[in-house]
Amino acid sequence: MRLWLTPVIWIGSLCALAALLPTMTPLFSWVESGTDNLIYTRDSFYTLLQSHIWLVLASATMGTLVAVSAGIFVTRPAGRDFMPLVSQIASIGQTVPPVAVLALAVPAMGFGEKPTLFALVLYGLLPILRNTLAGLGGINPAVLDSAKGMGMSSVQVLFKVELPLAGRVILAGIRTSVTINIATAAIGSTIGARTLGDPVIAGLVNGNTAYVLQGAILIGLLALATDGVFEALERAWDKLR
Amino acid sequence: MSSSTGLPNRVIPVLALAAFVSVWLLNLGVVQPNRIVAGTGYGLFGATGWLGAGIVSSLLCVVVVLAAKPIRNRFWVLALLLTAALMSLPLLLEVFALRKLPADSAYARIGIGAGFWCLAFFLALMLLETLSQLKASRRLQLSVVLLVAAGWWLCAAREGLSSLSLIREYANRADQFSQALTAHLSLSLGAVSISAVLAFGLALAMVRRERLRRPLLGLVSFMQTIPSLALFGLLIAPLGALSAAFPALQALGIRGIGWAPALLALIAYSLLPMVRNTYVALMEVPEPVVDAGRGMGMSERQVFLQVKLPLALPVIMEGVRITTIQAIGLTAVAALIGAGGFGTFIFQGLGQAAMDLVLLGALPTVFLALAADALLSALKFQETSR
Amino acid sequence: MIELKGVTRRFGEAVAVDNIDLTIETGEVCVLVGSSGCGKSTTLRMINRLLPRTSGEILVDGEDINKADPEALRLNMGYAIQSTGLFPHWTVARNIGVVPTLLKWPVQKRDERVTELLALLGLDPETDARKYPHQLSGGQAQRVGVARALAGDPNILLMDEPFGALDAITRENLQQEMLRIQRQLNKTTVFVTHDIDEALKLASRIAVMDQGRIIQHDTPEAILRRPASAFVENLIGKGDRGLKLLALRTVSDLMERHPEPRHSEPGSDSLNESDSLRIALSMMLWTNTEKLPVLDATGAEVGIINREQLMKVGA
Repeated sequence: MRLWLTPVIWIGSLCALAALLPTMTPLFSWVESGTDNLIYTRDSFYTLLQSHIWLVLASATMGTLVAVSAGIFVTRPAGRDFMPLVSQIASIGQTVPPVAVLALAVPAMGFGEKPTLFALVLYGLLPILRNTLAGLGGINPAVLDSAKGMGMSSVQVLFKVELPLAGRVILAGIRTSVTINIATAAIGSTIGARTLGDPVIAGLVNGNTAYVLQGAILIGLLALATDGVFEALERAWDKLR
Repeated sequence: MSSSTGLPNRVIPVLALAAFVSVWLLNLGVVQPNRIVAGTGYGLFGATGWLGAGIVSSLLCVVVVLAAKPIRNRFWVLALLLTAALMSLPLLLEVFALRKLPADSAYARIGIGAGFWCLAFFLALMLLETLSQLKASRRLQLSVVLLVAAGWWLCAAREGLSSLSLIREYANRADQFSQALTAHLSLSLGAVSISAVLAFGLALAMVRRERLRRPLLGLVSFMQTIPSLALFGLLIAPLGALSAAFPALQALGIRGIGWAPALLALIAYSLLPMVRNTYVALMEVPEPVVDAGRGMGMSERQVFLQVKLPLALPVIMEGVRITTIQAIGLTAVAALIGAGGFGTFIFQGLGQAAMDLVLLGALPTVFLALAADALLSALKFQETSR
Repeated sequence: MIELKGVTRRFGEAVAVDNIDLTIETGEVCVLVGSSGCGKSTTLRMINRLLPRTSGEILVDGEDINKADPEALRLNMGYAIQSTGLFPHWTVARNIGVVPTLLKWPVQKRDERVTELLALLGLDPETDARKYPHQLSGGQAQRVGVARALAGDPNILLMDEPFGALDAITRENLQQEMLRIQRQLNKTTVFVTHDIDEALKLASRIAVMDQGRIIQHDTPEAILRRPASAFVENLIGKGDRGLKLLALRTVSDLMERHPEPRHSEPGSDSLNESDSLRIALSMMLWTNTEKLPVLDATGAEVGIINREQLMKVGA
């Protein structure tokens, strides 16, 4: 249980701050003098936080499903032909800056939440794919040989041996993907998605530092909370094994 | 490089099929009466007529046959064919412009359709697969990329493509483009260099004093966890206050927004991969080798410069590679806080709903990142083959 | 009983196993021996269909293995390999229990079997069961590998150089264990090794392989006495053939047995019943005697062996 203390604290602070931010007017007047609009009010911070989390969660789930399936496919005899290409795509793809993927989604799909989600899934599945390939490929072949030789079917080998052994690496890939996606989702505000980046962008456009700070602090806290959750998840996995 | 293996290649036919389907189903290009209005799309046949559609379709068929039949040296032929096809792909758009662009309108322009992009994408993937079947050296890979880039460059310079909206956008702001290029490069490369120096010092400190390892690594990882937009935003307030307090800084160009917070943030982000890679590289030099050096009578300094550093170099260069790619991407985001660079075009385009302006910003960014990756990977190879 | 009839295995142009015929009787230990690349591992892996055969027939108890479901086939064959292939993420107990679990044994029966096997292989059911593979020494890991192969009570045991990666002392110990287990369980075993001494020690019959063919298939003694070709001769080594022959039999085979066990003098030079004749000769050379008393497990003298008898063994 101690494992989960840190992330819970972060998550608690995040929610508390999101709720309480509107009351912290005096703090922000110190930073931004000159306007009366000290607190971003177009949407409640809570709504933005929810929307941001939903985008990241949805893209992480879809990305994991696609990436892990693709990774499993190319490590099976049927898909082995595709392995070099998929592996190359996974590494070259990560060279492309996430902001470019986001920007390029607009000509394809317009503005709003859809292109943001699309870009997040597309970009987010790359680290997971890379790690799935590394994880599945890094298993001692003798283990797989003996598993098959004992009489396990291919499906049994996959679920009882390969995935448990590769799981830690895959989890690390998901962590990387989510971390990047939290940042990219924030930039998604520029293409019409409602996220915690909204106050930052609004602040930058209007020259309102208070807005920027509010968005930035919340995004930062979200990132730390997520990192804490993954840290705990990774340790829990280690213990379960 | 055995290219006469008897097994039929399954990947290329699948890709060729995907290319075929997408190029026939999707629009090859769009005729836009002016900058803002959406315009009418044309499929492969409508855009390029019998000749164009015929050439593209037969090319794809030939590719499938070559891939499937175990002919001698087929992968070399495929590589040649695909490279040539990719190099001359923009000519399709030229044919399209010739045929469909209204001659009288000065504002009319050609937009690139999804079908064209898909065709280019799948051709590139097929080329990737062919090169990997040939076990192509890094030099060959780099040459192919350069050839294709040169091809596109030449095509773009042709009169026939001047009506391409992307070219028009570029022509309208050619010097802004070069400014953006300089700004982007100097910001990213500058940040990487500064952070390299810093990282080296930090890594050395960590190697010498084990106790510093956890706090230092913890600090740089912490900075990495904060999303870029947040960090840029968080730096505005203190820098703004600083420059307000010290006008001399303002004269230098250091303000709350602009290149100063961008540079600071970029350095902060570059630190983690650099520090971590340098530290690991130095620690991973095998102890027996260092021992041998010392045993032979080398001074600590000589051991460091002649043994440790050269052996650690590949991993350090890997860190530089990762950092540079990351920096190029983050610089694009920094345009939001007024740092310049290609991000400016991206966000201006998004604001004006001018998609080709977005492309004008996004494509060079992607290209820069890929070019940096290719260059630095090729460099690394040379280091280790010495 | 396992029968291989005209079995061939090709990899592209290369022929790994060339039209071999082999019959392994029930309860027999057949050792495939040869240098690397001779096709012995390939042959083994065709028996449990980890490798498909190019042509020929393989019958187990009269049934063509190609007709059976491959997983069912393998569940009934124990498989132990050189690098053990133990699942790193499972405890020793869970590793051993894999096949019973796959066969859907009741939990209690499975757990009892695991405990039984741990004891059989000389491991401690209390402490070792809960360990993970990375916590085991090489010898312990290999014991677990063998236990795992035996867990489902298979009719056939396939072992691919299981002791190859161990140091000489551990290997010797495990070879003794194998002999002991075989005496107890009497399983049809196909054992692959490149070590002729191991083959001579463990086999009921040896199949010498070279370049995909079986050069000679015979008992250890026959192979030593009547090698079929220069290759086999080279393999067994011309120099110490005689000593190898002595190693095949025990003292109790050859000694003059007393009508009743006698009391032996403590501290005097003596042999044990189960010692090989080779050890007997070595002892005699060392002590420079012509005869030695033979003791049984309790320490009582049960017979005498003399040097003259040993000298005649080669005839």
